[in-house]
Amino acid sequence: MDPLLYVLDLVVFIGIFSIVAISLNLEFGFTGLANFGKVAFFLIGAYTYALLSNIGVPFFFCLMAGAVIAAAFGLLISLPALRLRADYLSIAVLAFGEILRLFVKSEDWLAGGDWGLTVAPAISVAGVSHRTDAFINIALVYFCLAICFLVIHYLANAPYGRAIRAIREDEVAAEALGKNVSKYKAQVLMLGSAMTGIAGGLYVQYLHCVLPNMFMPMITFTVWIMVLLGGPGNSWGVLLGAGLVEIFDRGTNILKDYISIPIDPSNLQYILFGTLIILILLYRPQGLLKESTVRTKVQRLIYNGRHTIKNRRN
Amino acid sequence: MEDTLLRIEEISKHFGGVYAVNEVNLNVDHGGIWGLVGPNGSGKSTLFNTILGLHKPDHGDIYFEDKCVTNLAPHQMYDLGLANAFQVPRLFYSMTVLDNMLVAARRQQGDKLFNGLFLRRRWQEQEKGLISEALDILDIVGLDELSFTPAKELSGGQRKLLELGRGLMAKPKLLLLDEPAAGINPVLGKRIFEKLRDLSKNGIAFFIVEHRLELLFEFASWVYVMDKGKLVLAGEPKTITDNPLFYSIYLGDE
Ligand SMILES: Nc1ncnc2c1ncn2[C@@H]1O[C@H](COP(=O)(O)OP(=O)(O)OP(=O)(O)O)[C@@H](O)[C@H]1O
Ligand SMILES: [Mg+2]
Repeated sequence: MDPLLYVLDLVVFIGIFSIVAISLNLEFGFTGLANFGKVAFFLIGAYTYALLSNIGVPFFFCLMAGAVIAAAFGLLISLPALRLRADYLSIAVLAFGEILRLFVKSEDWLAGGDWGLTVAPAISVAGVSHRTDAFINIALVYFCLAICFLVIHYLANAPYGRAIRAIREDEVAAEALGKNVSKYKAQVLMLGSAMTGIAGGLYVQYLHCVLPNMFMPMITFTVWIMVLLGGPGNSWGVLLGAGLVEIFDRGTNILKDYISIPIDPSNLQYILFGTLIILILLYRPQGLLKESTVRTKVQRLIYNGRHTIKNRRN
Repeated sequence: MEDTLLRIEEISKHFGGVYAVNEVNLNVDHGGIWGLVGPNGSGKSTLFNTILGLHKPDHGDIYFEDKCVTNLAPHQMYDLGLANAFQVPRLFYSMTVLDNMLVAARRQQGDKLFNGLFLRRRWQEQEKGLISEALDILDIVGLDELSFTPAKELSGGQRKLLELGRGLMAKPKLLLLDEPAAGINPVLGKRIFEKLRDLSKNGIAFFIVEHRLELLFEFASWVYVMDKGKLVLAGEPKTITDNPLFYSIYLGDE
């Protein structure tokens, strides 16, 4: 295989999963919502994209429709999120993802059941090489990633970011200080799900197909490892985490062609992931990069010259 | 303007078989310092949490500025002009002291999704004023040097002070303070009460639970006494201390 193409393919994957990871960071890292159903929204975005693009809807609208429908489901799961304790909610949304997968798998009329659907590429130029195709996808994916990143970055460093962090730290106190906790949770889950839906659309249009087995629960856990490794509450850290985990994933995939071990190599990969997550939680619970504090423009100005506070008093 | 700010009618709240608050009636008017005292477990904090909307009362009604607020959520009570400081501080521990203060600020422009993203100019302009207000309040409670310290690094007393500061930052019409002087050194405690008295002259009403009775009775203009969930006495501090019933409540002899 063409090694450059292999690297370009890796870059596309890193970009797509970075979108999912930073959206989980918005939900979990900043707001404290342990969303273990990420793959469900990824699936919703993917299937929406596939079904619409197959009836000729243009690329941009397929992507947006995936985002909107995923956001609607995000709103839906935010309703029990207000009543269920965090751990029960995790189990409920985890089940939700698996149910959705089994649904598209068994309902053949909807999207080809087990066989899935083929999806036309977004931008197809006749006779274009695989490399060019990869470059086009990189441009698309990283454009979307940049927008999602900026939205989260701006929100996290606005009074909004303070409010959602406050909710993460102590819901009752945040509520008593005038924050409508259920509204914030609903907004965050909608926004995070919309971003994940976009990532799902990009994923299937890059792979030119959509299959139920692309949406195993392992996707959710992989994205969680990206966030926990990179540093919950730090967008740059989570990008780093996404890159490292994706490279680790590929690395072990390559390795398994060269070394022979008595157990199934893909199970070994799961074991390594599990070990990694335990090690992170034990030895570096804050992740590689520490959470960044809220930095609004005014705070940055004060912070960079603390003396201005003291002078103010004289 | 109607004088009564908060009116509590026949409020009861029980946990299992225990009546933590039992048919309590009381009023708090605009401005001034109002006291609430009683032995441990007499239901003072439960009454405060019920006013805040954290507990739904089993019975009775609460009126805020003549509006029935019995079933409102805490954030709606905040919007009407209520704020509080918990007995056991509930700070946002990984956030800085200053950020804890700023969360509490009233009528923020940038804590809405749309404004936070798109009206950056507007909230940045407001933020300058809010930060300077926050620093003034931190100065009152003696935490201004610690503005950029994460709240988890504060001592026990400093946490109580930040809890109080956050309540003040909310600029309420009525501030419920649950033992603001507990764990605070006597000199600072007294200075804070003096400051609260100044603020109360500008129209903020303070409703204060405090076990340091000498301090509360020096500043409060009206005191309610609870015992075993019941409101048993009400009056000016002088008449309370003159009443033998008051001592028997604390000494426990019937
Ligand atoms: N969440 C709860 N669940 C069960 N019982 C509770 C709860 N909160 C309070 N109680 C009970 O209600 C009664 C009143 O408690 P409360 O905290 O209101 O007392 P307090 O007057 O504030 O006491 P203190 O001066 O010690 O703070 C106590 O008997 C307590 O055990
Ligand atoms: Mg109490």
